[in-house]
Amino acid sequence: MIQVEHLTKKYGDRTVVSDVGFHVKKGEIIGFLGPNGAGKTTTLRMLTGYLAPEEGTILIDGINAVDDPVAARKRIGYMPETVPLYKELRVEEYLRYRARLKEISRKQLRNRVESAMEMARITDVRTRIIGQLSRGYRSRVGLAEAIVADPPLLILDEPTAGLDPNQIRQVRNLIKEMAGRTTILLSTHILPEVESTCGRVLIIHRGKLVGEDIPGDLRNKGQSGQLLMLEGRGNEERFVSVLRKVAGVRRVVEIAPLQDDPSAPLMRVRVETDPSPEISEAVFEAVAAAGLKLRELHREQTSLEDVFAALTTEEQNQEESQGSKEEEAVGEGQGEVR
Amino acid sequence: MRAIFTLAKREVHSFFISPIAYVVLLVWLLYSGISFYLLARFFSSQPVGGSATISPLSAFFGGTTLFYLPLCIFIPIITMRLIAEERSSGTLETLLSAPLTEISVALGKYLAAICFWCVLWVPTLVYVWLSAGTGEDAVDWGVIATSYLGLFCIGLFYMAVGLLMSAVSRNQIVAATLTFLVLAGLFLLNMLVFMDSGEGAAAIFEYIGMWSQMDAFSKGILDTRFVVYDISLAALCVFLSIRVLQANRW
Repeated sequence: MIQVEHLTKKYGDRTVVSDVGFHVKKGEIIGFLGPNGAGKTTTLRMLTGYLAPEEGTILIDGINAVDDPVAARKRIGYMPETVPLYKELRVEEYLRYRARLKEISRKQLRNRVESAMEMARITDVRTRIIGQLSRGYRSRVGLAEAIVADPPLLILDEPTAGLDPNQIRQVRNLIKEMAGRTTILLSTHILPEVESTCGRVLIIHRGKLVGEDIPGDLRNKGQSGQLLMLEGRGNEERFVSVLRKVAGVRRVVEIAPLQDDPSAPLMRVRVETDPSPEISEAVFEAVAAAGLKLRELHREQTSLEDVFAALTTEEQNQEESQGSKEEEAVGEGQGEVR
Repeated sequence: MRAIFTLAKREVHSFFISPIAYVVLLVWLLYSGISFYLLARFFSSQPVGGSATISPLSAFFGGTTLFYLPLCIFIPIITMRLIAEERSSGTLETLLSAPLTEISVALGKYLAAICFWCVLWVPTLVYVWLSAGTGEDAVDWGVIATSYLGLFCIGLFYMAVGLLMSAVSRNQIVAATLTFLVLAGLFLLNMLVFMDSGEGAAAIFEYIGMWSQMDAFSKGILDTRFVVYDISLAALCVFLSIRVLQANRW
């Protein structure tokens, strides 16, 4: 559905997207993951033909989006991050206008607008003026606009930004509903979002594609070990000595009393261990056997920041080991982009 | 082609939702009504059998400065929002990622502006009707035709200027200011005609200035030079607007 090769975009001297290439198959849901300023929006804008790339090719459904942007855009439903809408129009008016622009025939117009409103669950606000709608409704109007022409490819730039948890769940459900029929490329900087919706993830950082993975593996990639968090009663020395003896525990990262009860203080302990789920069991057994009372024990989830930190430091290390001054200069240049 | 009409329709629709349209129309109608009233009163106080080419209507359509001053203000107000508003509200992104070309976008916007220009002038037909009621030969229909043709032509030109300024500006105020400066410049060029005694420069200023055109058309003189001038400059401005929109991608 999407074939992107050597995509590069510069704003003046700053390289915002550099040599990005990826393929998306029909029916896939792809997450485009990266911190703010990584080049996600710029890449998506190039796919939609709103921006032209400096170099590289984009094929949308086999059509060259750089040479024939209009034909390529016919296959794309796009929802920009800011969800720009005409605030003075009513919801239905706006959707009808956009459907006409997207060359929906008069016969189909009513049906298409109706089903887009139903899918995005905005039929109850169809006669409301867009400017008076809440943020959640507005982004659903944007979503309805993107799907109104029933495009084979849907590009959503941060579709859940600024929504409350309920609305986020609705948007995710909508995306899942359309899965299979429609190819979806969505960008986000939130890791759980990718995990709950996407089949595959592209990670972009400082304009470069730094990783491509399925979401489950992503967390593991970000960590060479795992963090266990314990809360329990007992004194500090005892906790440390017991935990150190457990096989697989590397070090006690942090230990601090939660309550100042001199006889049996409540402690919070963080330990770094080898990346194996079984270690939790061993830790529990050891702590219980030592007579320490355990209140809570869980593995801490790796955050997106950790994944990025891991992926990007890896990359930097590689660059440094190559020892090329040129590459360092490029890296610095991209640093400014952020 | 269909996209152009869809766009123009939306543009006119949105304009008439906003209070600006009604404020512009109201102020314009008041202004034109008062100036027509003053002119009619002035001419009715003149002895019969004066200059044959001057009538209240021809004075209204360009015989006096009363005609030009509002142009410099109303045209920027009509055109400022065309593209600048889409740019500042971000809707330009959805517009330019829809399956239509920059050419359609510029032409659709331009068409909308022309429509509104026509809407401004339709009520002035009442003055023609009023004048026609004063006597058998009170209205020279040829003069009326050339007057409205002249109006339409300068509309084509000035709306295109407004479109271009709206395309290059990030916000509406800048667009309005730029358009105002261009129109005021064209108006002042005609002033220079009186200051410059030399033949050459004065002739050029007269040709490109604002009021010599309506001066001729309101007397019933169909000067094709002005028509060519208006249409070619309008085409240039629309073309440049298209290029500005296309440059947006880079």
